[in-house]
Amino acid sequence: MAAVAVLPDDVARVALDLPLRANLSALENIALIPLYQRHYNAVESTRQAQAMLDQLDHTEIALLRDSDMTPAQRFVTKLARALILKRPRLVIDRPGAMLYDVPYPAFIDQLASQADMTGTWEIYDFSWNQVLYNQALHSE
Amino acid sequence: MNFLTASIESLGAKVVGWFTVGYAMFAFLAKAGLLLLDRTTWNRATFDVVVKQVYFTAVQILPVFLGYALVISWLIITIILSTARDFGLTAFASEMTIRVLVLELLPFLTALFIALRSGSAINTEVALMQVNNELDALAHCKVPPMQFEFLPRLIGGVVSVVILAGLAGLLALLMGYLTIYGMSTAGFEPYTQTIAKIFDFTIMAGLLVKCALFGLAVTLIPVTAGLETPKKLFMVPVSVLRGMMRVFFAIVTIEVVSLALKYI
Repeated sequence: MAAVAVLPDDVARVALDLPLRANLSALENIALIPLYQRHYNAVESTRQAQAMLDQLDHTEIALLRDSDMTPAQRFVTKLARALILKRPRLVIDRPGAMLYDVPYPAFIDQLASQADMTGTWEIYDFSWNQVLYNQALHSE
Repeated sequence: MNFLTASIESLGAKVVGWFTVGYAMFAFLAKAGLLLLDRTTWNRATFDVVVKQVYFTAVQILPVFLGYALVISWLIITIILSTARDFGLTAFASEMTIRVLVLELLPFLTALFIALRSGSAINTEVALMQVNNELDALAHCKVPPMQFEFLPRLIGGVVSVVILAGLAGLLALLMGYLTIYGMSTAGFEPYTQTIAKIFDFTIMAGLLVKCALFGLAVTLIPVTAGLETPKKLFMVPVSVLRGMMRVFFAIVTIEVVSLALKYI
């Protein structure tokens, strides 16, 4: 798992050890990327962040701060932040550590079907959780 | 012999520690200074965060601060005036008032006020960001923490201390006039002449530099103390304690050096 933490720069990570900025809302956390990386203005950055949350079908979490979010909402915000980075690879690092309130393989699958993203999604998880992914696949 | 060796080792470790902290602070300041000169730093996003910082540090506390400056000024002016009367030095009362209050006491108290209110908050926030990996997350997203988090705080601190000390000084000048001459306009000429005599270019420049250094001390030291925090939650109060002690010593040092340069 240590290898996940030293992935190259073209990988966007969603991980427990990459938290949200605690004093910013979900929308502001996501909008930071277009604002500082691509130098859009605040209005356009917020619009892009809102569009990302809409796309993931979690519009209602826009104004929530980290401490007010459920684990699933926090995960969606982190995912939206990773998606807006527009990197070719997306790595979800040990999702069970972040998504302990939902059956997570199905939840991630559902989010993946909603998100419009070019590139690949990879999940790094413990081998003993393989059975959870099999169950999710069989239930489809 | 063992005691002597242990004492020397302990002293050496302390000196090395002070140098390490000092070096880290100046390296951080140099980095911030270079970034300040970089044209790309001055985008709308950074400017917005600076404005937000000035609002939180100076504007939000304005009514409380002005009330506090008013009470302190009135008390000190009354003490100076009554002492001057007792010793037959009334002619010097306005000059003493301006020198003690506007040039020394109010900037010092402003710096202490901002240090206790914003400096401690900055130290805690940066320490928590460090402990919670929030800075690593920002780095992963290629959002520069210096530009987004630290530089606006430094600028906000300097601007806030300069503005608040200026406002408190103006308020004290007004209070001084009202206490010495009352509502009469007769004292306007001698009072403004005294002000003009005191506030020559050197004194004004010195006051501005002192306030700017106070502003830098109450933000730079908490930020660097926060960044030094080991990634352990229980170390956050220790980091704030260390940071605030350093801020206090820095403010006192700036004041003492300023006094020494002016009067010795």
